Amino acid sequence: MSSVAIVGVGQTTYRRTHPDLSSKELVWAASKEALDDAGLGIDDIDVVVAGVAPDALAGEGSVERSAMMGRGKPFLRVNTGGVTGSSTVFAGASYIKAGRAKAVLVFALERMGQATTSQQVFNTIFDPVYEKDFPLTTITMAALRASMLMRMYGYTARHWAEIAARNYQHARRNPLAHLHLDITPEDVLRSPLLAWPIHRYEACPMSEGACAMVLMAKESIGARKPVWIQGYASTSDSYAMGDRIHRPGATLVDLLSLRLSAEKAYKEAGVTDPRKEIRVAELYSAFSSAEAMAYPALGFCTATDGPRFVEQQQTDRSLPVFNPSGGPQGANPVSATAMVRIAECALQVRGTAGERQVDGVERAVATGQGGATQFSTVCVLGRNPVH
Amino acid sequence: MPATKPAVYIEAAALEISWRDEKRNLSELIFDTVRRAIDDGGRGMDGIASVVLAAHDLVDGRSLSSMVTAPAAGAYLRDEIRYGDDGAAAFAAAVVRIEAGEAERSIVAAWGRASEHDVEGVSRVLFDPFLTVPLGLQEMHVSGMRAQSWIQLGGSCANRAAAVARRLDAARSNPRALHSVVRSGRPCYPLLADDMPAWADVVAAVIISSRPARVKVSGMGQSSEAFSIGDRQLARMPGLAQAARQALDEAKHSAKDLDVVEVDGLTLFDEAIALEAAGVADQGKGLDTLAGDRRVNASGGAAAGYCAPAMGLARIVEATLQLQGRAGGNQLPVARSALATGSSIVAAQTHTAIVLERT
Repeated sequence: MSSVAIVGVGQTTYRRTHPDLSSKELVWAASKEALDDAGLGIDDIDVVVAGVAPDALAGEGSVERSAMMGRGKPFLRVNTGGVTGSSTVFAGASYIKAGRAKAVLVFALERMGQATTSQQVFNTIFDPVYEKDFPLTTITMAALRASMLMRMYGYTARHWAEIAARNYQHARRNPLAHLHLDITPEDVLRSPLLAWPIHRYEACPMSEGACAMVLMAKESIGARKPVWIQGYASTSDSYAMGDRIHRPGATLVDLLSLRLSAEKAYKEAGVTDPRKEIRVAELYSAFSSAEAMAYPALGFCTATDGPRFVEQQQTDRSLPVFNPSGGPQGANPVSATAMVRIAECALQVRGTAGERQVDGVERAVATGQGGATQFSTVCVLGRNPVH
Repeated sequence: MPATKPAVYIEAAALEISWRDEKRNLSELIFDTVRRAIDDGGRGMDGIASVVLAAHDLVDGRSLSSMVTAPAAGAYLRDEIRYGDDGAAAFAAAVVRIEAGEAERSIVAAWGRASEHDVEGVSRVLFDPFLTVPLGLQEMHVSGMRAQSWIQLGGSCANRAAAVARRLDAARSNPRALHSVVRSGRPCYPLLADDMPAWADVVAAVIISSRPARVKVSGMGQSSEAFSIGDRQLARMPGLAQAARQALDEAKHSAKDLDVVEVDGLTLFDEAIALEAAGVADQGKGLDTLAGDRRVNASGGAAAGYCAPAMGLARIVEATLQLQGRAGGNQLPVARSALATGSSIVAAQTHTAIVLERT
């Protein structure tokens, strides 16, 4: 099996809308940048994998088809909700590992600026009879988890605000980010409540944009500067949230699917102590409370130590740097967000992240989270291939 | 295939074609069919780490429908991925996972429930929202244009009636087919009512594995065509031709030597043109082949029941059952090798071809 590396990264800026660019133009801009970065043309690509999540967000039925490039090549579309971007990368990597491709172009596109309101669309992901009329949305869904975390582990609104403010400050150094806001924890706490305990500034924005990457087999890399995909894994959980609240061994906020993915990806990557061995973590957490929920699942702390771990991040510089890109609080193009996390890790490991570059990044981890915290992915990237 | 990769086998297959079953919702239809495939494999869920699905939100009538359908397909605490593509493409991706060493066994499932969605309405939104959607274009209209182009290029309709009759006969003898067709596609020139697919609720599932079984995946090809209809060679399906060539080359087979051919096509003409693209029929003779060659679509093809995006996997199930000698009333006397194809939106823009062999 060949090792797989990322040799090209391309991204558009992430904005509320891109009224001047068609879906095709967004995809082509990101893909051209990724191909240029890799020193390749589309003819050098063997397989194209596209990621687009719910069509309803774009209001178009086949945005990926209209943006298709590389006629005559295998072309697939992945739709796994919030993890679409990472699932797309993993699907492309499989073709290389199987020896069916030497170079794969993966792209993910989000056009949710065309949706009148994303929460109305997200309401339709839930059960039409039992849940739709609550109304259950991704915000109220996250609020249920946040309140459970507060009750079980002692988190306070201040913890959520600290996480959100740090992400906004990071996003200010990322020219691609959607929001460049100078926000303090106090600003977060003063912002309107969306659904208790979640304040507006703890939530992600609605963003449009495209992300693309070129994946390549080890044997074809030549003089390119690769970032190695050292391990990756994906796990699906039960749909019903009620079934997970009292599940023995892993409650709704224990993120079992993320924990299992992390265990598998770490094992493949040879990571035994993530807190020490991972320098950067790009987490797909659309709400700051969801970021806290991911820490223990990824092995950075225990669940009961979670609040203290948030506080330690203020002073302990030896801890991993979380979301140097600003994370989903800085931009959340849903279909692409999980791929953006991997792209940012690739830039950080390669040392080309610009003003937001973290020093000495040998290894980074990117997560994806989708559905009702139902689909989880973990991808470990590093400077060296894993044998 | 490179020698270092594990070979991939089909352990089990199941296909259910029905119409508006009021006792079961979509998740229950999926669960029942996947369960039948698992039972058919005889090894339970042992070693199944991967679940690969093909389904469309627009067809399922729900955004991110895999939230509720994936668990029904066996995805709980497994590595699951959902493709918004045809079932044959998902099958190919699942094979790739095993070849990559990512799984030893995998569930592959695809479905569509025509009785609960507006097939024509969904088809309309697949096209360009500014330049094409206002025209009311549907995939069926593209099939009409494809048939017209094929006739113009010299395609022979001399045996059209015989092809229709044989297709309907084949569907009647297929125990899995929908035998009481409630709703069919709406024909447009030059297509006629008898050329139409029988809309149905279709769930297909297979279990694939690196452990030797009766049916081996011996070749695979995937390809794509332009989005814009005007940029395509509608009557030639070059994407399918390329995919079939790759699959046959990999399997070291000639299209003419195959014992079983199951091609996916929305209409009679699409099936005829697909046969030509795959090299099974000579150019312009696709309808003649459908009329007279018993190896071809012994299942009845789209006349046995149709709903995207399940159809490529349905063709693979039918081919598998033939190779296993379990096809029932439509079993072919000789079935050692098979070609199955699947095409996806928009109007057969992407294509997958799979060659299977009896071990």
